[in-house]
Amino acid sequence: MEGVLWYVLAGTRGGTNRARILRALDDRPRNPNQLAEDLDLDYKTVRHHLDVLTDNDVVRNSGDDYGAVYLPTERVRDHWDTVEEIVAEVE
Amino acid sequence: MSLWVDVAEAAAVLNVAVLAGLVGVWARSYRRLGSKHALGLLVFGGFLLAENLLWVYAYSFDAGFHAWLYEGTPFTRQAMLGLCVLESVALLVLAWVTWD
Repeated sequence: MEGVLWYVLAGTRGGTNRARILRALDDRPRNPNQLAEDLDLDYKTVRHHLDVLTDNDVVRNSGDDYGAVYLPTERVRDHWDTVEEIVAEVE
Repeated sequence: MSLWVDVAEAAAVLNVAVLAGLVGVWARSYRRLGSKHALGLLVFGGFLLAENLLWVYAYSFDAGFHAWLYEGTPFTRQAMLGLCVLESVALLVLAWVTWD
């Protein structure tokens, strides 16, 4: 897994919430509104975290114009055990 | 008191402040994620913090260090300044990506 992924999740101030978002999307794809509600986060914050995760090719948009959901990329799926290592305990 | 030495001391103090912030972020990460990656960053930050506390001590309280600096050429003092200031630039860039 690219070195940057562990920094984005473990090294940065927003990393622990990004880890929660990734966990939630692994559970099932969701749109930003659902994520904000399910994780008790501000909608704008969720959008920002999704932008960072998308930039780093960790999650992708399903591409539907209306009510688009986000899901983990194939690349992250292939390295899911690494993600589990980085995100050992996040609730 | 040469300006070079004052600037180096200020840079060391700035490094301590930036590192305190970084170590705070990484400690919170380690508490919440519990992974070796977060722990590694925390240990890395802790050692850099110790290094800069040593700089601050040398510049602010150690007469012997000052005597040694002034035995040297202006280049000696500029090189010492360079160490702390280059590290400040590196830490500010790291803080910029970490604060996100």
